Amino acid sequence: MGAVTYPNPKVIKFVNERMIPLQVRFDAQPISTDFKVKWTPTIITLDSRGEEHHRTVGFLAPEELIPSLLLGIAKMYFDADKFNDALANLNQLLSEYPESDASSEAIYLRGVCLYKSTHDAKPLKEAYEKLNASDPKGEWTKRAYPYRLL
Amino acid sequence: MADTIKWETSLDAALARAKAEDKPILLDFFNPL
Repeated sequence: MGAVTYPNPKVIKFVNERMIPLQVRFDAQPISTDFKVKWTPTIITLDSRGEEHHRTVGFLAPEELIPSLLLGIAKMYFDADKFNDALANLNQLLSEYPESDASSEAIYLRGVCLYKSTHDAKPLKEAYEKLNASDPKGEWTKRAYPYRLL
Repeated sequence: MADTIKWETSLDAALARAKAEDKPILLDFFNPL
């Protein structure tokens, strides 16, 4: 990450503008034990109270790190029932990084956010249909499978 | 624009900035070797 992803200009701009970056050694205590870190790189999105909302383990290229961080920010807002803020980050992810590994979970979470903010089930079915069209055997397509009946 | 990521190195400092700037924290555990 330090050799390839973190020096990337888009990553530098995104992280410095949108997040508070905190880097610690994998064996730093007590934080490593507190967050049950077993491998590196482990990248976690925290809110301002220190609560975890998203975690990845393993290398992420620049074009995968930014959408993963957008997903983490969206999950932080989702967990706080701030659905409009979650949707803004999910929409940015899906418009700017539609081919990223984070996009399928973003499509799923976007459908859930829209449902929870409107109580209209249509976005859940639309999320399934979009996932099924792009990745019929994908993990998030399977998770959305029941929504096909809505 | 900064030419590097401006990393914090302490959780307390990161939490204080996160509250003050209303931003989430990117916490990266790394292996220096």
